[in-house]
This record gives sequence, C-alpha cells and structure tokens, in this order.
Amino acid sequence: MIAFIVLFIAIIINGTKIQSVEEYYLTHIDDITEDSETVFIQINASTILDNWDRLDPVLRSEKYVPHDGMILERTEYVLRPNETVFDILQRTVRYNQIHMEYQGANENIYNSVYIQGINHLYEFSVGPSSGWMYAVNGEFPDYGVSKYVLEDGDEIELLYTCDLGRDVRNEFIEKRKESN
Amino acid sequence: MKSFASFHPIVIFVYYVAVIILTMFMMHPFILGLSLFGSLVLFALMNPIRVFWRDICFYALFFLLIAITNPIFVHKGETILFFLNDNPVTLEAIIYGFAVATMLVAVIFWSKSYNDIITSDKFIYLFGKIVPKLSLIISIALRFIPLFKEQIKKVNQTQKTLGLYTSKSISDRVLSGIRLFNSLITWALENSIQQADAMKAQGYGLKGRTNFSLFYWYVRDIIMLTFILLIFGSIMFLYVKDSNHFTYYPIITKIPLSIQNICQFVLILILMILPSLIEVKEIIQWKYLKSKM
Repeated sequence: MIAFIVLFIAIIINGTKIQSVEEYYLTHIDDITEDSETVFIQINASTILDNWDRLDPVLRSEKYVPHDGMILERTEYVLRPNETVFDILQRTVRYNQIHMEYQGANENIYNSVYIQGINHLYEFSVGPSSGWMYAVNGEFPDYGVSKYVLEDGDEIELLYTCDLGRDVRNEFIEKRKESN
Repeated sequence: MKSFASFHPIVIFVYYVAVIILTMFMMHPFILGLSLFGSLVLFALMNPIRVFWRDICFYALFFLLIAITNPIFVHKGETILFFLNDNPVTLEAIIYGFAVATMLVAVIFWSKSYNDIITSDKFIYLFGKIVPKLSLIISIALRFIPLFKEQIKKVNQTQKTLGLYTSKSISDRVLSGIRLFNSLITWALENSIQQADAMKAQGYGLKGRTNFSLFYWYVRDIIMLTFILLIFGSIMFLYVKDSNHFTYYPIITKIPLSIQNICQFVLILILMILPSLIEVKEIIQWKYLKSKM
C-alpha cells in the first residue's frame, strides 16, 4: 500500500515540470544567417478597434489592445526543419513574453492545437463570433495550427476576428454557402 | 436552541432564497467570504461542537481540492507565478479557485442549516397549495433517506441479536449485507403501499379537505420580512450601481476603501449573520432568565 502511494507520487513528480517565469521565457532564438530558412509572423488584433463597444469592459485598455491593434509587428524568424505554424508561434510569444493559452492537440477531436487566447484576448471576448484565426500567405487553411508545415519565406498572420472571419477577408464561409 | 426556526415559514424561506441567490450568482469576494462566515456560525450554533469540527475537517479538504483544481486547468490571468508543464499558473486563477470553493462550501452549509430549520411540515405548508403533488413527493423523498438509514440499523441489530452472521469473515459479512438489503427493499415497497393507503384513507387530495397548521403571522414576522427584503434590495441596488464590476480575469479588480464599499460590506454582514444574531440573543436571554431563578 505504501509502496503504491510512493510510486504514485513518483509518477506525479516525474510528470510535472516546474519552471520559474524567467526560466520559461529564456528561450533560444536562432540567429538569422545567410543560408537559414526564415518565415515572417505577425499577430494582429486590429478588428477589435472597430468593435470596441462590444469588447469585454475589463479588456478595454492599451495593455491588451495596442492603439494600432498590432500585438506583434511583422518579424522574421528562423524556420527549423519540419516546423509547424504552432512551433513558430509558441517560440515567438515565448521570446517576446506575450501571454498565450491554447488547447493541446490531444485535448480535442481535431488532433490539432487550438489557440484560445493571445495577450489576454480570448475567444468570445468580443461577442459570440470572435476568436483567433490564422492565415499563411493570405490563405486561410481549414485545419489547425499544429498541422500546417511551413516552407521557406512563408508569411504567417494571426488575426483576431469579431465576425467569424468575414472581417479578416476569410471567404471560407461564403465559399461553402455558394458550393451548397 | 432554534429560535430562528420559530419565525413564520415564509420569512425563513425568503431569507434562504435571498442568501443563496446572493452567494451563488454574485462572485463578489465580500459576499462569498461573509456568506461562508455566516453559514458556519449558524451551523456551529445549531449543532454540537463535535459535529461541527468533524464537518469542518471534511469540508476543509473538499475546499482545498476545488481550490487547487482551478489553477491546474485554467491559465487565465496576468500575474504568473510559475510554469507547470509549459502552462502558466497564475495568481488570479488560484484566487478564483478559492472563491469558487468558498461559494460551494457556503451553499452546502446553508443547505445543512436549511434542512434543520425548514422541516417537512413547513415545506408542505409553503408549497402544499401551489404545487401539492410535487411538494408531497419532495418531502417524502427527502424523508426516505433518514427513514432507510434508521431501518438499516434496526434490521442489522435484530439480526445480530438473533446470532446471524456475527463472525468476522468477509464472505459472511457480504452475505449479511445482501440479506439486509433484500429485506430493506421489501420493507420500502411495502411501506410505500401502506403510506399511500393511509393517505387515501385520510382523504388526501380530495376537494374540501382542510389542513391545520400552527403558523400565524405575528408583528415580528412582518418586521423581519421587511427588514430582510430591505437589506437584500439595497445590496442588489449597490451591486448594480457599482460602476467598476468586480472581475477576476485578466487582473483582479482592486476594491478601494470608499463609503459605498463599506456600506456594502456592513449590509452583507448584517444579512449573513442575521439568524446567528437571533440565536445568540435567545441564548443570552435564556442564561439571564436562568440566573434570575
């Protein structure tokens, strides 16, 4: 009985990794050299500025929505082989110390990571049809962030939508309506 | 010892509805903390100290379990304390966990005292006219569990006295358990039929049947009811009027030391410890009268 409890505690301790805040943010970003593959990433929440009156009152602050809506300006980062959008995104927010919460790939039926909130702006923070979407080279893929394997020179955009993607020029819903 | 129970059932019921609405739907820390305090004091006054400590120990564990669960699964909030498996554990989530745990434990303790104060005859009196069948079923169902417990004890003791299944072997104990359960089920079925027959014989549910109850409105009931409604109304008014609503995420709202907040605090305190005050007043009165004898 005691052995069982000890084993149980050992498993729990082994499975948990506790890091201090400084340790967590101390990530390594590869330096850009001439022959390294790179991608561009930006995090944009400017649609919220047009829907300010629908935003959750506690989030109405410069701290959460910058005055031009850009949480992260377009920046270039090194792409390691076989990296997905999620890997780049996570490394970026960690490096820039931006808050992000996500649902792990094994926690939903899509087997892909779902971004719940970035910089304290969560899904449904601006009404029921709001949340985070992503586009690569201007196209909106219909699968999750951790399934999209990037190539050299890709442009990643993380966009906050307040209207199921219509306000960030995603015509996915309209296209589906037309095809029906 | 239960002088709060001597008020008119409507007064008591309105009080419980007001307190439980406030506790369950307003996540304000004043309301939660004072509600837990009030429910614990009332519970301590109405029960022997041994029962009180036993329950406190159990619910303290329950409280901690809920409080710890929240920060493990929720990562909202600005003040990050440390990272657990790459997920932030935040101060806000921990505090919210404590708030939810406080709410649950407070509601549980209010229900415990509610059960002692609103007995089934009061419940039938309150709802017998509006929803006769449902109130009867609820009161029978609530009565069923203590009745069942009592019967288990009785059957068990009888069997032991007869010398059946008294050895300590596991198979024997399991067999006795099955036998006991078997007899209990039969008893429960038979009892319900008898009860239905008895009620039919007494003309339950027939037209023109009157009820007798000993509940009258006194002046103190009216005063109490208006007092409760007044305090409840003013708490709600202050809560709605409050321009900066209290939120836990992404950062906890600060509560400044203003007159409005102090008013709110005092009003909530009065509402939550009202039954305890009545009990204490009664105890003091009793002690005083006894000392004069």
